[in-house]
Amino acid sequence: MDRVVEQGIQGVSALAITGEGSLTGGRPAPGGTDRRRRRSTAGWLLFPSLTLVLAGLILPLALMARTSVAHFDAASPDLVGFTLENYARFFGEPFYLMILARTLLVALSCTAICLVLGVPAAFVISRVESRTLKTALILATIIPLLMGNAVRAAGWMVLLADKGLINSALLSAGLIAEPVRILYTGSAVVIGLIAVLLPFMVISLESVFENIGTAYEEAAQTMGAPPWTAFFRVTLPLAMPGVFSGCLLCFVLAMNAYATPVLIGGPSFQMMAPKVFEQAIKVYNWPFAATIALVLMAVTLVLSVASSLALQKRYGVL
Amino acid sequence: MSSILIQDLVKRHGAQVTVDRVSLEIGQGEFIAFLGPSGCGKTTTLRMIAGLTEASAGSIHFGGREVTHLPPYLRNAGLVFQGYALFPHMSVAENVAFGLQMRKVGHEEERRRVEEALSLVKLAHLAGRLPKELSGGQQQRVALARAIVYKPEVLLLDEPLSALDAKLRTEVRTELRRLQSALGLTTIFVTHDQDEALSVADRIVVMSAGRVEQVGTPREIYQRPATRFVAEFIGLTNLFPGGLEGHGRFRCEDGECFAVTTTDAPSNASVLAIRPEHVRLVRGVPAPDGESAVEATVEDVIYRGALTEFVVRTASGAKLAAHLQNAGLGRYELRPGDRVIASWPADASMLF
Amino acid sequence: MTGSRSPFPRFLSDGSFRPVMVGGCVAAFIMVLSPLAAIIWVSFFENKIISFPPTGYTFDWYRAAAAMPQFRDGFFTSLELGVVATLVSLIVGVPAALVLARGRFPGREAIQSLLLAPLIVPGIVAGAALYMFLIEVELASGVQVAMTFTGLAIAHSLIALPWTVRLVTASLVGLDPQLKEAALTMGAREFTAFRLVTWPLIRPGVVAGALFAFIASFVDLEKSLFLVGPGMTTLPIVIVNYLEWSIDPTIAAVATVQIAIISAGLVLTDRYFKLARAF
Repeated sequence: MDRVVEQGIQGVSALAITGEGSLTGGRPAPGGTDRRRRRSTAGWLLFPSLTLVLAGLILPLALMARTSVAHFDAASPDLVGFTLENYARFFGEPFYLMILARTLLVALSCTAICLVLGVPAAFVISRVESRTLKTALILATIIPLLMGNAVRAAGWMVLLADKGLINSALLSAGLIAEPVRILYTGSAVVIGLIAVLLPFMVISLESVFENIGTAYEEAAQTMGAPPWTAFFRVTLPLAMPGVFSGCLLCFVLAMNAYATPVLIGGPSFQMMAPKVFEQAIKVYNWPFAATIALVLMAVTLVLSVASSLALQKRYGVL
Repeated sequence: MSSILIQDLVKRHGAQVTVDRVSLEIGQGEFIAFLGPSGCGKTTTLRMIAGLTEASAGSIHFGGREVTHLPPYLRNAGLVFQGYALFPHMSVAENVAFGLQMRKVGHEEERRRVEEALSLVKLAHLAGRLPKELSGGQQQRVALARAIVYKPEVLLLDEPLSALDAKLRTEVRTELRRLQSALGLTTIFVTHDQDEALSVADRIVVMSAGRVEQVGTPREIYQRPATRFVAEFIGLTNLFPGGLEGHGRFRCEDGECFAVTTTDAPSNASVLAIRPEHVRLVRGVPAPDGESAVEATVEDVIYRGALTEFVVRTASGAKLAAHLQNAGLGRYELRPGDRVIASWPADASMLF
Repeated sequence: MTGSRSPFPRFLSDGSFRPVMVGGCVAAFIMVLSPLAAIIWVSFFENKIISFPPTGYTFDWYRAAAAMPQFRDGFFTSLELGVVATLVSLIVGVPAALVLARGRFPGREAIQSLLLAPLIVPGIVAGAALYMFLIEVELASGVQVAMTFTGLAIAHSLIALPWTVRLVTASLVGLDPQLKEAALTMGAREFTAFRLVTWPLIRPGVVAGALFAFIASFVDLEKSLFLVGPGMTTLPIVIVNYLEWSIDPTIAAVATVQIAIISAGLVLTDRYFKLARAF
């Protein structure tokens, strides 16, 4: 049962962005006269949850799409007009394009570094022979995941601030004369995001490495391959589906990040998600906020699908 | 191809000893089988020879070169895994070429030798296929080709036939033996199937609980088992607990006495063993001289195709199994309840 | 002579492979764990200004935080929201999972994606959309929804739903269908079979789903951002607001409390499974 729950958790946290992961197997539904009775009960059973999602998510999203093409009137919240001026503004002004570009850059860097750190971590965990150590490491990966972004961002602030732990330590050790500015820079945001995203990468990869098993590596080694060769020619190629879903997950989460850029990047480091909030709540320009939100979703979606297709071409169905 | 020398090989796992001082000398080109029940240490020993498991003590030499502490990629052994472990993302030809690529063999030579290896296992026509497109038997042959293409010093096989169905198994093992002789490969073959071991090996190493019970040719193992374990594990045996009484006699616990040959029997022998095929059943006629005999009643008659198994029970309740070939039996009509005399030659009995 | 007590299998221990891999692993764990370690440590610092090494240790900040109304209110609001969201997601999600676990039927993939959609849509986008929607509802009906508990409850139920659906479905799917069928052939009605056979077996999955749903709701930031207001706010948002002005041991204490609660929730999950396995 633990295994099943584990799979459920992995499935949720590494979600069907790639459209993968059917919840159930291929079992066909019961047939015959049973079917009609079951269909009506099924309807009643599904009704409340579907209503909740439709009313709470789908409908609002549709409304938001509508809002993005409305005209911004500071005086009234009514949706009037049908205009593309919001989109024109976003794509026309370099300021906003730069925010998008910066968000993309941050997301891509985070994904790359998460891969470089996540692969060793996942591989080591999967090959550890002691049961207790492996459980401890997996727990140490999952627990921070569930702490929430606010708390983890707070932790980085405590560490990286001019008056934070790291600077205090360096100052009192006499290694520096003045505090080093780390907080409120792009690098700090990247560091903070990596810490948030790594567990996702590690979890995606760890189960993949476990499933591959050691037999192929052993075979490669008996045939003369030293460990690095065996890893790059056998293990890693077989792990590509996991690598891809891990990268995709990290990329999407980084694109949509809010707490970390706001707290660690500060007001001068602008990224897309904080911008949505600012426009909606502080400036009260809903149409523009909706526009930014939709552009964010669209860009993320397009890049995900495009890379998925490109990789499928190269590696076959993932 | 090299000879192999294993000396006092030990594997400890915490407090448990899974391989307990195994020593063995294997000649060049010899085909050795490690035979034993699950958990006897045969696979662990094989993995230590391959270098995949580190030995806790002891040494291993390939043709005079000590390899005990070398990692697997420096030992030049070939290993066929139980599950074949063919690289799923590479074609058959690429799988076979792998070992040659590790040795930086040139392109032309690589292509030639891959073709050669695949022809040896009669799979040249499937070179471009992926492993998942092959049948179990074909995968096994690719695994074999992959392991021999780079001419290893020793070929190791870990229960390579266990995933195949019975008929295929016999075919493949004959092929394997033929190939091995033709190429002169020093080979170690791990199995739990005694029929397999008896059919293909030059010598068999019978193992139990981490220890070597006996090393010998198939004939020696079967006819002259060194220990009770070997007698029971190989083939079928009837066992009688008891003790030696004087010269040439064995008294069983239930009082019956049998004539035995005591030349190489241990003086504290406590078990008499006799194989079912040596037991004869006769009615109404006393047993010939020099044979051990006991009166019994037929309890069960089981027809098994080539032979019939008769289970008889002696007056004291001991059960004895006799195997009689059906061809040449003629009208041998024994039924449950018939009274017979079961007898066997004294020198066919084994004492432990 | 004997092998070293390495946690690695033999054949990986040579050359630069192991050091590099283990090094990468250690670096990864340092990155992930150091913020949490830092904040827990700082919460006990005596001095309000963070210094290294710390001048001393104290529990004062916890007392101070408990006395501050915004933290108390935020804490209890988050707690209530979590409970409400979990309950709603169970009431609504378990039946849905029952249907989804039955097997293939037309539209199943679509329904499944729909129910898990709240996880795919970015928090900020979903939060903004829901906010705008609720304001429109407010304007149309005259009833205040945004900045109320109800509005937050709707958002949090949506956060919780995918967790319960996914985990309950997974445990239902792992269940042998013949068990319930055996009960039916022995004379039990559908609901009795569910109560006596299915439910005890899926209970661990349901509990896990509920606990994860609670945790997800408790720590949420983005979706709640748009729906909070004066007097009605969640703990993570209180923390974020405070941090925009100051970084000190008080907020570290509050954050540590959140960490403690989540950890307790996870320990509870762990204990429950162990117990279930003992049967």
